[in-house]
Amino acid sequence: MSIINFEFRNEVLKHNASLSYCYQCSTCSGGCPVALITNGKYNPRKIIEEAILGLKDRLVEKYDPNLWLCSTCQKCVELCPQKVELTEIFTLIKNLCFESGKVPEAFIAQGRSVLENGVAIPYSKAILTRREKLGLPVIKTAQIDEIKTILKETEFENHIPKEAE
Amino acid sequence: MSYDLFLGCVIPARLPFLETSSRKVFEKLGIKLNDVDGFSCCPDPTGIELIDQKTWLALGARNLSLCHNNGGVVSFCSGCVETLKGVNYAINKDYHAKEEVNTVLNKVGKSYDGKVEVKHFAEILYEYIDKVKAYIEKPLDGFKVAVHYGCHYLRPSEIINWDDPFEPKTVDEIVRALGAESIDYEMKMECCGNPVDKSDKDLSLVMIDQKLKAIQKAGANCVVVVCPACYQQYEFNQRELNKKNESNYEIPIFYLSELIALSFGYKPEELGFKFHRIRPNKLFENLDFIF
Repeated sequence: MSIINFEFRNEVLKHNASLSYCYQCSTCSGGCPVALITNGKYNPRKIIEEAILGLKDRLVEKYDPNLWLCSTCQKCVELCPQKVELTEIFTLIKNLCFESGKVPEAFIAQGRSVLENGVAIPYSKAILTRREKLGLPVIKTAQIDEIKTILKETEFENHIPKEAE
Repeated sequence: MSYDLFLGCVIPARLPFLETSSRKVFEKLGIKLNDVDGFSCCPDPTGIELIDQKTWLALGARNLSLCHNNGGVVSFCSGCVETLKGVNYAINKDYHAKEEVNTVLNKVGKSYDGKVEVKHFAEILYEYIDKVKAYIEKPLDGFKVAVHYGCHYLRPSEIINWDDPFEPKTVDEIVRALGAESIDYEMKMECCGNPVDKSDKDLSLVMIDQKLKAIQKAGANCVVVVCPACYQQYEFNQRELNKKNESNYEIPIFYLSELIALSFGYKPEELGFKFHRIRPNKLFENLDFIF
């Protein structure tokens, strides 16, 4: 049993109206590299169908289909005869997944790094030495206070689950 | 011509040798790259954007607000280019998004008008292809190159607005200009699988395995890429696949800038080839490519 969540459907539509253009032709799934290797278990057409129907529980909680398997290759977007912006819609739904907190760990780790350092991969001592040996200049990244002000404004921290004590 | 240089995270902080060859090639061609202090993560279009698009837009716009060069900004990374072009697209299309982003940027005394031109380094190299040809000292005879374009170099075409999204030619043409052969292979336009690694490592390995298999079958002796995520996916996983399966991958992976630098006569030690996990020495020996 799935529960129809009109609020969720309206939220997606408000964010990206192209959702309503979809006529379920499945061109997206036909061109999707992940659908191919999962024998259709991952299926972009179905994700769009569930979004139109407002089946938030399937998309955000049960991960059926698991939209985290999208490789963001953008082939579906390019191929869609209706110009449905699939990856944009998936991005919004993934953003919503962070509100519920059940997301792949690697994303949380990257989020924490940007929160703490302003960059996804901070310069390690070994890399700084290597850069010097390769004759590369010293690059100053952003002042972290400035980044923190911006992240506070966008409430980024609220999306990142707290580290377990 | 000169450009502001946006380095991003992966190349400078993990694969700095790719930066070395890229800088050398631009210098040789007389294209000035201006280093800018104060950039943050671009942010990652396959990471931070999926956590919170609003943050992605704000940090991306902040980065662009630091660029003041008339030529615009260039990056060696397809992910950074996708983000920076995507941010421009989003705020130029949607007035409210632009307002919202600037409200955030105003808190740190900045603003962004959406007007900085963004380019991928291969875009510029393609524009300079005649000059590239003129500087070739050592044509890459015998190099049978499998060109891997990667996804974000091309798509969505409405945002990237560059080569053909399904039948691209720019990197193939540069490779041929260097005297190398571009080998056609099945699955050439498929994704390397790198972004899937964050959620399903095994699935991402299947994706790169398929590509490597096709590349081997087609008889290529190396691969060229224009994105550090693709580079890592190809380079870091060959041994892992060999351990897991019955494959025997040992295919050198080059950055486009490395192939150009080799043809310009730079030596492996100047380009940091010792940092490659799959060293191209054997390929050089087989081809009598002597330094």
